[in-house]
Amino acid sequence: MSVKEWLKERFPIDYEKFVEINENIFIKEPIPLHMKKWLLAMGTTPFILLPMQIITGILLAFYFVPSPEMAYESVRYITEEVQLGFWIRGFHHWGANLMIISIFLHMMRVFFTHAYRKPREINWIVGFILLFLVLTISFTGYSLTYNQLSYWAATVGTNLVKETPLIGGFLVNMLRGGESVTANTLTRFYTLHVWLLPLLITLMIVIHIIVLRVHGISEPEGYDKGYYPFYPSHFNKIIIVTLFLISLISLLTVILPPGLGQPADPMNTPLHIKPEWYFFSVFLFLKLVPIKLGILLIGLIVLIMIFWPFIEPLTSKKEDRRAIINYVLGGTAILILIAFTILETISL
Amino acid sequence: MNNAKIQQWLIGIFSVLLIVSLMIVATVEIKKTREYKPEIDIDKITARCITCHEKENIAVKQIDAWEESEHAVMGIGCFECHEAKDGDFDAQRCPESDFLIARHPTPKDCAECHEQQVAEFANSKHAHQFWLFANADRAVYENPISTRHGCEQCHQVGNIWPDGSVGECDVCHAKHSFDLAVARQPETCGECHIGPDHPHIEIYNESKHGNIFITKGGEWDMGYHTADNEPIPIEAPVCVTCHMDGNEKQPMTHNVSARLAWESQSPWSYRTVWDEENLGSWEVKRERMESICKSCHAPNFIETYLVTADLVNLQYNEIRRMFVYWTKKLTNDSLIDRLKADGKFYSNPVLNGWDEVPELEMYHAWHHEGRRFRHGAEMMGADFTQWHGIWDLQEDMVELIAWAAEHGDKEAEEWVESNHPSKFAPYALYDIPGSAWGIPTKTNTTPFVYKDNKDYWDRIKANVETVYKKGLLAEDQWDLWMKRYENKDHYLGLKYSSDVDSTWNFYKERNALDTKAFKEQAVKLNLPGKSFWERKK
Amino acid sequence: MEKEKQQKQTRRDFLFKFGIIGVLVIGIGAFVRNLFLFIFPRKKEVRYHKYLVGRVSKIPLGEAKEITIQKKPVFVVHLEDGFKVFSGICTHLGCIIKWEENNNRFFCPCHKGIFDKTGKVVDGPPPEPLHEYKVEQEEDLVFVYVKDKVKGPWS
Repeated sequence: MSVKEWLKERFPIDYEKFVEINENIFIKEPIPLHMKKWLLAMGTTPFILLPMQIITGILLAFYFVPSPEMAYESVRYITEEVQLGFWIRGFHHWGANLMIISIFLHMMRVFFTHAYRKPREINWIVGFILLFLVLTISFTGYSLTYNQLSYWAATVGTNLVKETPLIGGFLVNMLRGGESVTANTLTRFYTLHVWLLPLLITLMIVIHIIVLRVHGISEPEGYDKGYYPFYPSHFNKIIIVTLFLISLISLLTVILPPGLGQPADPMNTPLHIKPEWYFFSVFLFLKLVPIKLGILLIGLIVLIMIFWPFIEPLTSKKEDRRAIINYVLGGTAILILIAFTILETISL
Repeated sequence: MNNAKIQQWLIGIFSVLLIVSLMIVATVEIKKTREYKPEIDIDKITARCITCHEKENIAVKQIDAWEESEHAVMGIGCFECHEAKDGDFDAQRCPESDFLIARHPTPKDCAECHEQQVAEFANSKHAHQFWLFANADRAVYENPISTRHGCEQCHQVGNIWPDGSVGECDVCHAKHSFDLAVARQPETCGECHIGPDHPHIEIYNESKHGNIFITKGGEWDMGYHTADNEPIPIEAPVCVTCHMDGNEKQPMTHNVSARLAWESQSPWSYRTVWDEENLGSWEVKRERMESICKSCHAPNFIETYLVTADLVNLQYNEIRRMFVYWTKKLTNDSLIDRLKADGKFYSNPVLNGWDEVPELEMYHAWHHEGRRFRHGAEMMGADFTQWHGIWDLQEDMVELIAWAAEHGDKEAEEWVESNHPSKFAPYALYDIPGSAWGIPTKTNTTPFVYKDNKDYWDRIKANVETVYKKGLLAEDQWDLWMKRYENKDHYLGLKYSSDVDSTWNFYKERNALDTKAFKEQAVKLNLPGKSFWERKK
Repeated sequence: MEKEKQQKQTRRDFLFKFGIIGVLVIGIGAFVRNLFLFIFPRKKEVRYHKYLVGRVSKIPLGEAKEITIQKKPVFVVHLEDGFKVFSGICTHLGCIIKWEENNNRFFCPCHKGIFDKTGKVVDGPPPEPLHEYKVEQEEDLVFVYVKDKVKGPWS
């Protein structure tokens, strides 16, 4: 009796049908011709990075101890004592950074090719939720290292939440589990970071892809019409990107390894505190305007961005005018973001 | 090439890249920021001692110190050092147990493991109670209770124990952690090598060596083991770096006399003959020290520096000759008297004596300023050679001769009445053309003895040659001296003196301005309100 | 002729694909190996320190002294040709052995294992001799080399 038959007896499903479904939704999935261009296929990158983050995250969790006494020491232990620990930690660190970069690039592509337009508005919003989840998971992850910079980033970051109108105080208390950043905060952040947020992210990605598949990949104008099957050409592309990412991240861990910093000291704020680079623009903006106003403005901007697919049609009736508004607004937003990030980087 | 082929190539290339990156990853070594000490095993006897000492609260901090020691790691517990046999001078029955314990482990106990170190120490001058031989009569001036916690405390380093062993290891190796960093700290040496008689820690702190250590030493790991013939791991030397620790060429030693060529603490400076059978001649000892110096310095610099210091030592002897001459003469003329009881003398005109001015001057000129003068010159303590050295020596001499004149000594009267500047050099001189630091162009144009004596350098040469022939300078030192003598216009900078006149005149003008300023501001000031005393008159 | 050429073509193609897959498999293999190294970290170097176990003059010839090293019983045996130091843990199932002076042997009470004073199995189920420490004798002092067990949460 062959293995196939043995399995078929135990799992009496229609094997032929299974193969057929697999062929239809996976192997023969029609990919538009424009996807041959690498820059137009950016969305896969965060999707490839996700399992890498999950694997390295599980490995780090083998050693990490989320308590104020042990958090820094266990990160030190992973980095200095565990075989290839510095690599796994660096991998997780750089994987997170690359994920944020690739999400930004993916969003840019979607925005400028108008892929968010009717009927794909929902997927733009799902994507935006994913962006926030990823930023939150990065923030909580960074805080777990419990060195001076990350401790004070956690303190300042959670204090910003306090400025949320009406429910600010309540939210901060919930996040910190107390008045200040303590052991409770650490275990909360840990719980968020290692299962709640990953679970939500995975769920949202599933929705993101289902919505994508039911509509089919949006096709920007000005490219040859036509399709090619997922396998082998696009499949190979994913393998190439995967191999490239692993190599790149591995080299980054050697060239720019994440440091240990000084152990967190709740009694002593270091002279120059800074969040991770992807929060630089927000950080600088909040330094420039009064905090309450700043939070409100950022909330407003974010709301406009989230609901842009519904707002855009209200701006003009003419298609080409809307295109111009799209380019100008998108371009300005990106320039401001980059300018703020650079300004904060060079300021002490 | 078709698309599929390109993709396959890319997969191949990136797979290779991945392998290469992972190989790079595998070779990375992460620097550890923390070193854990091995956990210590406390044996049963030690555990009993600790439990009881903690219960009774006796010297419990010493237990913590021991737990930090390497002894604790190696299973050297309390009883390993504190075990006693019946009849031992320090045997004591522990009141809470049946243990017979030694109150006071001696070098004999340490030697069980550290045999070489104890033997080296016992052969060093640290272990030599020289003052008991020539100077026991010091106790007439200082009563015993005062010396208990005075001189006796430091000189405990050379204590002779009832068991025949010599020394006290924990004078430097603070018990019970026996931490190398503590033993190596200059302040450990400075516990005793301090004060007016031998201000070695002050000299060290004044030197460039000490300055670098004070500035940066806090970040250095001073607890290292010096293995024989290993490089010095710290940037600037502390005391033990030169006197004990090893370098590439020298083994580590506990014999602090192994690298010293002079007896410059003694009333007369002389080339050391200490333990020649083991340590070799003074020249061998000098080479040992120079070999340490050469870890950091160019040979020519340290050889010049050290021969200059040697000449300071010899110069001291000539100055001392004056003091000996006068105190002997005054004793013979019965102007001063020796202390005497039951036919035994308790003071010595050439060493000490405390009830008459010339004796005190003599004592200070050796025991205090004479040592500061010499040791400052050997260890870069300029201020100690200068103001605390030669200046005080000259004052002592002037006061001594003035005292003799006041008490009717004709020769002294003649000296006091003389107006000639050479009166302050009533002794023979040594000198060397120039210094180790560089070529000065104007400094050597001023000294009176240079101007007053056309044959100055010939007379100096005759003196230096004499001590060289007597074996007080090594041949290479004599060669070095002669090289400078033959090029003295260069080394003294006289050759270049007129070349720098424009620079010189610039400062000369400034000096004129200074002089003018103080004359106007201070000298010529005439206040209208006369002094109150004058009005009274 | 044409056929031969085609065959050559396909063979070359096969070798090319085989090579690519081979490199890919090695690359992924190296990656997975590194992950495993992380999960089961091997201490890079085991360090030892010297530990004083007794004095020659204190342990009479032929006798054994029981001490404790790293909270485990250890026996120091004075033999004709020097000292042997044994772990007091039976090599059978980990019970603690006893020194029987009158019988001149080590005895394990759990399954009646018997070792002689050189650590060899004399009787009973133990599969191998008692584990030994490396001994170094310096005049009167007997040292063994003990594996460093570091203070801290990771040991």
